[in-house]
Amino acid sequence: MKLTTVFSTAIAAAISASAALADGFPERPINLIAPFNAGGGTDLLLRGLAPHFAEAIGANAFVSNMAGGSGTVAASALQGQRPDGYQLAYMSITVSTIQPQIKDVPYGLDSWTPICSVAASPTLLFVSNDSPFQTAEDVVAAVKAEPGKYVYGSSGPGAMTHLTTVAAFAGLGILDDLKHLPFQGSGPAIKELTAGNIQFFGDTEVLMQRGDFRPLMVFNSQRLENYPDVPTATEVGIEAPLNELYLWGGLFAPAGLEPEVTAKLEAACETAVASEGFQTFAENSGTVINYRGAEEFDAFYRAQYESNGALIEAAGL
Amino acid sequence: MLSALPDAIAILLSFEGLLVLVLGTVLGIVLGAMPGIGSTVAVAIVLPFTLTMSQAPAIILLLAVYAGSVYGGSIAAILINTPGTPQSAATCLDGYPMAQRGDAGLALGWATVASVVGGLVSAVVLIFAAPQLAAFALQFGPIETFALILLGMTCIVSVSTGSVVKGLMAGMIGIFLSTVGGDPILGEMRFTFGNWQLFAGFNLLAVVIGVFALSEVFIRASASVNKVSELVAFNGVVLPSWQMWKGRFGNLAKSVAIGNVIGVLPGTGAATAAFISYAEGRRSSPNRDGFGKGEPDGIVSSEAANNAVTGGALVPTMALGIPGDAITAVMLATLTLHGITPGPRLVDDNPTLIAAIFAGFFVINLLLLPLGMLLSRVAAPILRVREAFMMTAIVILCAVGIYFVRGNPFDLLVMGGAGFVGFLLRRQGVPMAPLVIGMVLGPTLELTLRQGLILTDGSFVAFFTGHPIALVLAIAAVLALSLPLLRALLARRAS
Amino acid sequence: MQRLANERVIVQLGLLIVAVALYASTFQQSFSASDLAQSPMFFPRIILTLWIGLAVIALVQTIRADETQPVIASWPRIAIVIVAALIYCNIIASEGFFLPSVVFALVCLPAFGIRNPLLVVPFAILVPGALVLLFNHTLGMPLPTSRFTYLF
Repeated sequence: MKLTTVFSTAIAAAISASAALADGFPERPINLIAPFNAGGGTDLLLRGLAPHFAEAIGANAFVSNMAGGSGTVAASALQGQRPDGYQLAYMSITVSTIQPQIKDVPYGLDSWTPICSVAASPTLLFVSNDSPFQTAEDVVAAVKAEPGKYVYGSSGPGAMTHLTTVAAFAGLGILDDLKHLPFQGSGPAIKELTAGNIQFFGDTEVLMQRGDFRPLMVFNSQRLENYPDVPTATEVGIEAPLNELYLWGGLFAPAGLEPEVTAKLEAACETAVASEGFQTFAENSGTVINYRGAEEFDAFYRAQYESNGALIEAAGL
Repeated sequence: MLSALPDAIAILLSFEGLLVLVLGTVLGIVLGAMPGIGSTVAVAIVLPFTLTMSQAPAIILLLAVYAGSVYGGSIAAILINTPGTPQSAATCLDGYPMAQRGDAGLALGWATVASVVGGLVSAVVLIFAAPQLAAFALQFGPIETFALILLGMTCIVSVSTGSVVKGLMAGMIGIFLSTVGGDPILGEMRFTFGNWQLFAGFNLLAVVIGVFALSEVFIRASASVNKVSELVAFNGVVLPSWQMWKGRFGNLAKSVAIGNVIGVLPGTGAATAAFISYAEGRRSSPNRDGFGKGEPDGIVSSEAANNAVTGGALVPTMALGIPGDAITAVMLATLTLHGITPGPRLVDDNPTLIAAIFAGFFVINLLLLPLGMLLSRVAAPILRVREAFMMTAIVILCAVGIYFVRGNPFDLLVMGGAGFVGFLLRRQGVPMAPLVIGMVLGPTLELTLRQGLILTDGSFVAFFTGHPIALVLAIAAVLALSLPLLRALLARRAS
Repeated sequence: MQRLANERVIVQLGLLIVAVALYASTFQQSFSASDLAQSPMFFPRIILTLWIGLAVIALVQTIRADETQPVIASWPRIAIVIVAALIYCNIIASEGFFLPSVVFALVCLPAFGIRNPLLVVPFAILVPGALVLLFNHTLGMPLPTSRFTYLF
């Protein structure tokens, strides 16, 4: 009795799955995968987006977490899945473009169908408020005077925080005269910046505001609204591709997703990002919204993959 | 901040405030008491609800669920020897022997009172001394943390029931397991043998649940089962009388202090505090000879310390904006969502909110006592089911719990493997607590050692010359290791 | 007695062999680090050396000592429970949570001595079923589902 029910449900599911994949999409809940722990920044952003996304696509959408390996475990697991549009991952610049170039993961440039980008925050290089360094020139002069004395921190090797500092110091030509001290996450690193064990750190504006810190430069195309006196990396003399760095993220499906399904997901993503609820959420949480459609995001993602290769080389990863 | 207290209390006494306090604590205790399901899952379950709440209730709900689940974890640890989290692993060492002796209710009573006292004291410390303690936390750089972890490692000897050699070996296995995966300084992969699942390393909880809970099921399957229909005689919590506390206050006070101090230092955590406190109790308690055989001081040491950590961990979180552990990191992220920037100005900018959180934390700890007693009475009949049902349910619950820790089915394989190996090793008298200590402390030990070597340009001696705190801790570590050996040697010579 | 003595020695020997093999494997990879202390294998080698040393001492102690260990009451039962649990952990990823849990309970309960189907079958269906209902359909944090349907 039980078995026959299972069996008939199974057949029904199989038939409907093959017949009307694109037409009827979506006909069951969509799984949005956060490649980090519940309660982290990425997870909460996705949880903020999920209800609006669900409303726009007309199906239930839930957030699930698959943490580990700086996000590579979730990406590696998703990469082998059938591209049916029911499983999407929110991947950041590091998970999608940096980790595959420094680790031997089973995914790479062509493993994904980018759906849409959601957010992008420029990073900043900053020091503690009581630091003697006011400008990038001060830093260069001090480091050149005493090579090997100063230390920059990061939240881990290959993390965005690491790349920010590497871009700054490689761009200024003093990378080899500084020591790198990686931590497990931004929290401990910020503590050591406050305590004075490290002198430099690089992260987004939201994170910088967690302490009494002073920005030296911003890796953006123009100066930030909140910090009109802080020069951009280009103004300081850092050349492309090291001069602009954004902690961006967006939704990805496995490669080979049907164009009709991609279009539906893209449209839902656009509606969700533009929704009033998500805009309020972004304002509260300090998220810098940066929407790109599937085609544009694909081009952007591929360009980033290229240019981050140069950064990785500079970092010696 | 104290001037904001009346407003804060008004928030707590609102309908939403009371609801999250009571429901959160109940939910935490219930989930924590389920074998295999610990704080991580409990917090993940309530997280979506916190997104729709206002600031103070959201944070209080997280705190209530967390504190409740830590306390609930001790219930599973004492009654069925299956800690749901590493921090209740130390509670098993004396709690379970005591329960086997027939004093399960009393064992839980010791754990309850110790937890409540630990939590309440840490709440008071948090309210009155947060800025001072935060300044103290800043004194602990990588080198000081390394020395502290080294001291923590010495408690492997104290928790090695049976053979010290086997205990130390289990500790090394634990440390080794923690090195699998990405190297913390260079990011290169170690011992992964090309398997991307191992890039993230072995999950601590999967191993803990495997070697404690799953292997416990196997051990019971290997013993004769027919004689037992009831797991342990248990009719609810029995509070220890005032008389029984005589001569134990010193140990309680010391344990609370250890929990508070270690909680304040980011990156150490509740399991570390519980084990260090247990080791210290075993070294200095007047009842030290009974440790490992069901000594109340053993339960008190571990439970008072691991609950005091929660308040301690809130200190750097609230005063500096630096999360002390995983749960405080979730709280900070939740605050950010509500448009509040954590950081040094958090308390000054949001006095009412912070006062409400601190007062809420105090109330949660008060609630643990009545709710713990009530729930244990409700849960008592569940323990009277036949062992078969309990064991089957434990395996299924462990699978659920471990799946939700990282959402990765690979962790289930790790749990299964750890359960099997744990079963083999436990049969040979290899204690499992040292393995857990090794795995908990291993990553920090390696990271801070190598961070220190970067800072001192490769000189290990410089660790101690320029860092007085580190020197003191290192000397304490050497003494902690050598004193018991000396004592044993002297005893042998005398006899 | 002979068989028991063998199990003790084999486990200790196994621990030693694993440690030595892992130690040997640290020389197979090459790393980019220039100085010794920052090599990714610096710390693991220290730990593995200590492990090997302790394993040798433990092995010698085990061979010398004549300690007994808990007797296995029923070999079929422990074998069934261990094999069932290991298979169960392995197939949740591919077959979902519900069906393997039902099968596991159907195997594990009789192994522990409950043979009355009126007790076994309801337990085997209700416990996993309640968990699936709770997590997949109430809390929105789904357990793995089977290949047949997304419902369980």
